[in-house]
Amino acid sequence: MNIGKSLILLVVAAVLTYPLVPQSSDYIIHVMTLAMVYMILAMGLNIVPGFCGLLDLGYVGFYGIGAYTAGLLTIHYGLSFWVIVPLAALNGALWGALLGAPTLRLTGDYFAIVTFGFSELVVLFLTNEIWLTRGPLGLPGIQPITLNLTWLNDAWYFEFYDKTPNFYVVALLVGLVFFIMRRMEDSRLGRAWYAIREDPLAAASCGVNILNYKVIAFAISAAIGAVGGAFYARWSMFLSPDMFKFWESFLVLCMVVLGGLGNIKGALLGAVILVSLGEVLREVLSSLGLPPESRFMAYGLIMVLIMRFKPAGFFPAIASSGRSNPLLIDLQKRLAARNVPKEETRDAAT
Amino acid sequence: MLEQQLINGLTLGLIYALIAVGYTMVYGVIQLINFAHGEIYMLGAFFCVTFITAAGLPFYAAIFMAILCCILCGILLDIIAYRPLRKAPRLAALITAIGMSIFLQNVALMIWGSRSRPFPQTALPPFFREKALVLGDVSLTWLQLFIFAVAIIMMIGLYLTINKTRIGTAMRALAQNKTAASLMGINVNYVISFTFALGSAMGAVAGILVSVYYNTLYPTMGYTAGVKAFAAAVLGGIGSVPGAMVGGVVLGVAETLGAGYVSSLYRDGVAYAVMIAVIIFRPSGILGKSVIDKA
Repeated sequence: MNIGKSLILLVVAAVLTYPLVPQSSDYIIHVMTLAMVYMILAMGLNIVPGFCGLLDLGYVGFYGIGAYTAGLLTIHYGLSFWVIVPLAALNGALWGALLGAPTLRLTGDYFAIVTFGFSELVVLFLTNEIWLTRGPLGLPGIQPITLNLTWLNDAWYFEFYDKTPNFYVVALLVGLVFFIMRRMEDSRLGRAWYAIREDPLAAASCGVNILNYKVIAFAISAAIGAVGGAFYARWSMFLSPDMFKFWESFLVLCMVVLGGLGNIKGALLGAVILVSLGEVLREVLSSLGLPPESRFMAYGLIMVLIMRFKPAGFFPAIASSGRSNPLLIDLQKRLAARNVPKEETRDAAT
Repeated sequence: MLEQQLINGLTLGLIYALIAVGYTMVYGVIQLINFAHGEIYMLGAFFCVTFITAAGLPFYAAIFMAILCCILCGILLDIIAYRPLRKAPRLAALITAIGMSIFLQNVALMIWGSRSRPFPQTALPPFFREKALVLGDVSLTWLQLFIFAVAIIMMIGLYLTINKTRIGTAMRALAQNKTAASLMGINVNYVISFTFALGSAMGAVAGILVSVYYNTLYPTMGYTAGVKAFAAAVLGGIGSVPGAMVGGVVLGVAETLGAGYVSSLYRDGVAYAVMIAVIIFRPSGILGKSVIDKA
């Protein structure tokens, strides 16, 4: 294990133990929880533009579908969180497949615009179908997450009103999604997605059913977004259509792009950076006497600057995956053993 | 009632068409969805009102000054934000466009405040609210006639610019093949800036007309109008200027009829639904060429 890896593990361990420290601040736990919600979203969105190379501008629509599914199931049927998460994921995947099946034949900007229109329609639906969602009034009074272990011990029934247990629930979800993503990335599914991203024509001629794999990607991405939404509903205990505006889609997309498209760890880091940037900007700008809206102005400007100077994000996936390809490493080692100068090695690698 | 709805829809549609040509021209030339175009439209309305209230200019002079300012904004937008990204991945340019849109919208929020304000009525020619034509229950105000006239004159002007002038020929050449156009001695960046200037001028006029027509303006007005105009551009076939005009009118009428006869709650939904349906069933739009795989 090299130093970089152990450093990352150390940071993760430090973050995970932070809520147990007696002096820990509720505010920081709250921000970290929020960052982890966005981590789930960023990992989910990463599948579509990162792995398949399709721009999705309406990701927040699935987040909203998941959140309202969870909220309504909790209020009307009192289902447990652990039952709701798979249900919300299924509902997200259903809508993802319904939207994806007819539209994924489209390429580029056309697809982006369809997803954008879809998320706007979701917001309109949530705002106008008052009988179901209470519209702009929002959906208050969602029960917090509960954990019912009375089958083990009669006293073990927990309601997670506190910040700390919620933190661990979302950390669990992040870990789960991360694990699934890593397994998918290296599977037949992931390789098919990469092939489609790099060259759809070549992929099709190798027998990859492009449309099927794209619909699968879109449905999985939507399901993960819905899982994020389901947690968010039970954590914030209040939902309103305003929370699912286009701005959120843009924010999640920025996280993915900032980290480097197609790079799972990059997406995680992008979520941490942008969520903490939001918090820092809130403090800094208000201390400068600017109104809170100027935060969005700064956000917009920062995104423009990042695109200007780092259009591929901070951790481009392709370069790193090329260099870490075992075949190339092996080749370089063998060439080095034969005392071939460095320059030629690089030529051979490219 | 239907006739009145049609006239109201036509008024709205012509305004959408004015915005939509801005999207479609820029898309035709550099294949970028210029999300910030809606913000230029919003700025047009605010510049006009500011020139009237702060500088005390008469209505028509204020319109002229607002158009000039918006042209400047459009050109600056191209030079500062988009020009450095001509060779960057398409996603980078699109994110820049959305970022600029958010930036400009919030700049306007900080300068003019978030409350919606009325258009200064005293500056308007007094006959605008009077009825010009009354046929049975259908009435047409002078303001609506003014909007028709301005929109149609601008469309004809645009059509002539694109089809009959040297710079228009250069724009069309650029839309077909940028490399070949530059090899023929066309200054690519100059033509792109000119395209932005033309689109911004049309957008500014649309913003002013809307704020007079509805007697209200607010910093977030560019978002919805921009999306709808984009839907209109898609409906007409993106990249096609006559298509954008037709698409705008069709969308305006469809929206007014939908709000009048189906449900006024889903007024905005009509635009999105039309857009999605067009993209799924006929991605090249009403008048567009089949460019689906070029995108």
